[in-house]
Amino acid sequence: MNEGILSNVLIAVSLTLVLAGAAAVVFTRHPSKQAVVLSYYGLLLTILFVVLQAPDVALSQVAIGTAVVPLIVVLSIRKVSAIRADHHLEEGEEGT
Amino acid sequence: MNHYAYFVSVGVMLLGVAGIATSRNLVHTVVCLSVAQSGTYVLLIAVGFQYGGVAPIFGGQVGSRTPVVDPVVQALTLTDIVVSAAVTSMLLALVIQIAKRHRAIDPDRLGRLEG
Repeated sequence: MNEGILSNVLIAVSLTLVLAGAAAVVFTRHPSKQAVVLSYYGLLLTILFVVLQAPDVALSQVAIGTAVVPLIVVLSIRKVSAIRADHHLEEGEEGT
Repeated sequence: MNHYAYFVSVGVMLLGVAGIATSRNLVHTVVCLSVAQSGTYVLLIAVGFQYGGVAPIFGGQVGSRTPVVDPVVQALTLTDIVVSAAVTSMLLALVIQIAKRHRAIDPDRLGRLEG
């Protein structure tokens, strides 16, 4: 019975951490900082899945949610800023 | 306990939707969409984690006090995670195409959609 109370407390704490992590991801306005916070949020979801007896889901979450998705977010931020820098360069040349 | 899990999943999804509504950058919008989808992971895993529920199919070698959970919703969550990664990467590719075409990724500066 003592174990049940302990796991209940663990589940409640990890659920609260997931909620706080989601708020942190949403209210981080700068996209490249948001990618790092998204990675931490994936780690919090992994902890929740391990606590809720779902280790296979936790494994795929730690691979995809913590590594792959923030990586492609960072890559697309880099690509978009390269496109915008090219455009500003062209505008500057047209202006002179 | 389960009610709190459902509350958290709804809260995560509403946070994601609020982020999409107030976003000033299309990359930020896509990340908020993936946060809104992660509310469904919490919901599905919490549905499979019940105290005193009917046991899923196990042989006699599993003791009656061993904690077991429903594996069907876990398989659904696994599919959900992979689909979320695919959706995120496709939407980010669309954001790159918008940046190439319109030179802006602020939704308010895009103007009307061009056909």
